[in-house]
Amino acid sequence: MDAKNIRNFSIIAHIDHGKSTIADRLIEQTGTLTEREMEDQILDNMDLERERGITIKAQTVRLHYKGKDGQIYELNLIDTPGHVDFNYEVSRSLAACEGALLVVDAAQGVEAQTLANVYLALEHDLEIIPIINKIDLPSADPERVKKQIEDIIGLDASEAVLCSAKTGVGISKIFTEIIDKIPAPSGNDSEPLKALIFDSYFDSYKGAIAHIRVFEGMIKPGMKLKMMSTGKTFEVTDIGFFRPTPVNVGSLHAGQVGFIAGSLKNVKDIRVGDTITTVQNPTKEALPGYRGVTPMVYCGLYPIDSGEYNNLKDALEKLQLNDAALVFEPETSIALGFGFRCGFLGLLHMDVIQERLEREYNLKLITTAPSVIYHVYKTNGEMLKVANPAELPPPTEIEHMEEPFVKATVIVPNDYVGAVMEISQEKRGKFISMDYIDNRVMLVYNVPLNEIIYDYFDKLKSTTRGYASLDYELAGYQQAKLVKLDILLNGEMVDALSTIVHIDRAQPRGRQLAEKLKKIIPRQMFEIPIQAAIGNKIIARETVRAMRKDVLSKCYGGDITRKRKLLEKQKEGKKRMKSVGSVEVPQEAFMAILKVD
Amino acid sequence: MISLYIHIPFCLAKCRYCDFPSIAAKKDTYPAYVSALCKEIKLRHQQASPLKADTVYFGGGTPSLLSVNSIATILTTLKTSYDLSPDAEITLEANPGTVDLPKLQALRKLGINRLSFGVQATQDFLLKLLGRIHTLADTKEAITAAKKAGFQNISLDLMYGLPRQTLAMLQESTAWALQQEPQHISIYGLQIEPGTPFAQMQKEGCLPLPDEDTVETMYDFITTTLPQHGFERYEIANFARHGFASRHNLAYWQDKAYLGFGCAAHSYYNFQRTYNTHNVYEYIRSCNNNALPVFEEEKFDNQTWMEEFCFLALRTARGIDKKKFQENFHRSIHDVYGKNINMLLTQKLLKENDAYLFLTPAGMKLGNIVFEKFLL
Repeated sequence: MDAKNIRNFSIIAHIDHGKSTIADRLIEQTGTLTEREMEDQILDNMDLERERGITIKAQTVRLHYKGKDGQIYELNLIDTPGHVDFNYEVSRSLAACEGALLVVDAAQGVEAQTLANVYLALEHDLEIIPIINKIDLPSADPERVKKQIEDIIGLDASEAVLCSAKTGVGISKIFTEIIDKIPAPSGNDSEPLKALIFDSYFDSYKGAIAHIRVFEGMIKPGMKLKMMSTGKTFEVTDIGFFRPTPVNVGSLHAGQVGFIAGSLKNVKDIRVGDTITTVQNPTKEALPGYRGVTPMVYCGLYPIDSGEYNNLKDALEKLQLNDAALVFEPETSIALGFGFRCGFLGLLHMDVIQERLEREYNLKLITTAPSVIYHVYKTNGEMLKVANPAELPPPTEIEHMEEPFVKATVIVPNDYVGAVMEISQEKRGKFISMDYIDNRVMLVYNVPLNEIIYDYFDKLKSTTRGYASLDYELAGYQQAKLVKLDILLNGEMVDALSTIVHIDRAQPRGRQLAEKLKKIIPRQMFEIPIQAAIGNKIIARETVRAMRKDVLSKCYGGDITRKRKLLEKQKEGKKRMKSVGSVEVPQEAFMAILKVD
Repeated sequence: MISLYIHIPFCLAKCRYCDFPSIAAKKDTYPAYVSALCKEIKLRHQQASPLKADTVYFGGGTPSLLSVNSIATILTTLKTSYDLSPDAEITLEANPGTVDLPKLQALRKLGINRLSFGVQATQDFLLKLLGRIHTLADTKEAITAAKKAGFQNISLDLMYGLPRQTLAMLQESTAWALQQEPQHISIYGLQIEPGTPFAQMQKEGCLPLPDEDTVETMYDFITTTLPQHGFERYEIANFARHGFASRHNLAYWQDKAYLGFGCAAHSYYNFQRTYNTHNVYEYIRSCNNNALPVFEEEKFDNQTWMEEFCFLALRTARGIDKKKFQENFHRSIHDVYGKNINMLLTQKLLKENDAYLFLTPAGMKLGNIVFEKFLL
């Protein structure tokens, strides 16, 4: 394929604005898959992705399209993750493209997520084609959306494609626009190899596989290649592209997108953003923009049944094969025993991993409340990075602490501005700016990440009836007065329930947490005092009263089976609890801090 | 010796808390059902060798809805297939709104010698709220008639923990029940079962149930009051004057065999638990086709037997017969459950003497916790 007939592009859209449906239509209309092979939202092939309607892993698909000029074009669609957790992955996918389709819902208009990704695309100098989707909706208002695109993003929207992925209207116009407007890739097969890794996955037959975009040079099987960030070398065994199932080819040339596999067993060897070159004739300069994985959120994962520790370890290792962003290391909790402190890109990532462990590996887990990484400056001049509240040094050794902040962008209808400001202030946010876009407002705040992972977004959604959209990016560390809030059950400190909170919020949080735990911990044979403490000072106390009556009533007609089932269910319920000292604590207690108001 | 249970799944109206198999069917279904029931009795008889039976229990639903003739037919069929001992305990559950003196006299004549009346409460507004079809006056009349008809073994059911019920109301109901001088009293703490109208009302927030503490006080009241009046608590929910413990009821807890006939009836025989289809019409069709209407058979391995042997026996005042355990399972009970038994003993939920392991009063109150410890 001549490079001038190649187009590499991705689709940028807010959740539910129709990215996957448009991708489906493009695949369908190029005959890449027969109708029988089509399954709605082909690119989201993890069960979880389909259920949640989100893309977690990037996917690519090569489409062959016969243009109006009679020529065959190779269109490489690079589907990007659609969640703020995977921002870096998105930026790498965009870096592999020359253009992007910006899909905006004709009824909903521009959202915060759209903005963030458009800015990313603009940073990469991509040609952006605005597409207004869902024009078949009764509430569609394409003209208003066009104006928003121009006002907010600053793109010329006069030629925006109006389409409905549902009915198929406007899809062929999208093809024309891709061919006419997105530049063909430049690059030369004879230059030293320069290929960008924008994703990786693990195949149980072929090992670790890299999704790549070749910028310069070409790749053939048998070549010796080198990862520029790590210096790791390997031999290429398989080369191919996706449609969307993998298809092997003999070579990948400058400008093309595809995959390579080689003697790589671990996805850790394939670092997203890294540059691949040849051992024999390496390029001098790596592609820009590589950075290592930096988890933003940490939590402890513990098996309820301590006998499952090794199974959990195996499962995490297996997941890590396919997810280089997941990090974990063993940790021990007095209350929970042996487990792992795991780092994630964000809350969604954490949620997904946890769910996959429980679902795919059948593990019963206790997840401790998520924590950010605090920078603790000790009086002896040392700086500690603390991701587990239980590891915070005693206050006397702490000179000061810093916590991560994010720049949070919120777009809401005018009516809710007051509410958003209130929540943001309540969440210790610092006001940055406010801009009007039609009848909506874009608010920017600096908010502690700690508050974001608590319930900032939930609150935002609920007080704005779901109208608010949020996007955030890391904005460095700032000093803050933080303390460790401990919980004592039956007089004993439960390390896994400790959290780090701002000193001004400690008192109410302690009270709310104790109240919440009272509701979660079931009555047991004895009375259980729940205390919240900061240092030696008890700031709240609740009591779970002893259970006093629990008996099955009389039996009808010898139906013993029913009685037995009730007892079995009761026993099963206990298995979902962890004995902490003498107290049986349900799983959700460890996440209770997230659910206090 | 086995026990026989006959299920009559008909009610005039379904009580709002009830999720037991019963339907408010048209009366013309009754004869078809009775004839199917007799077919099942004969069908089973072909399979099992003639057995000696010493209890028969007509449960429901509302068995007292059937005509005297129907009950006579069923009893006759039973007697032709099973060897009923002369002193067999033959119980009929009766709704006070469905019987009168002539009917009761006829039933007594048939050989029914024990009646169980669903009194539940003595406040008419509570009965109405429960969806019961009778009033206190009906109950009074039924009991008087039963005594007049010659019944000398009468059991009354009482419920506690009812919506809008107060302790004072329960005290009133209990006092009234004692005045009737029954031989046996069963107590039933209301449980909200999914799928019942009460469950729906609870979801809608319009079921004013007494709080946990009140329910506990009610339980304490009734479980201490009845023994004070000469009723022995022979099982968690059953109280009887000396010599009037229900043999049929005890059979369930004492690991004795029983055969259940009728739709949704359960059997425990030959190391197997089986139960019949819940669907009345399917039941009738199946019996008419000479097929046993068994819906499910449960595998019964040694472990299941052991677990059930224990948690069922613990419901009785006497408790687990340790020697019997050893005989059945060729191990001492302490070998199997030692750790849990010791824990329960220290928690004072369980007590032990030479021959038996049994619940303390506290253990009875927390029965489920104890029973669970006997699941392996």
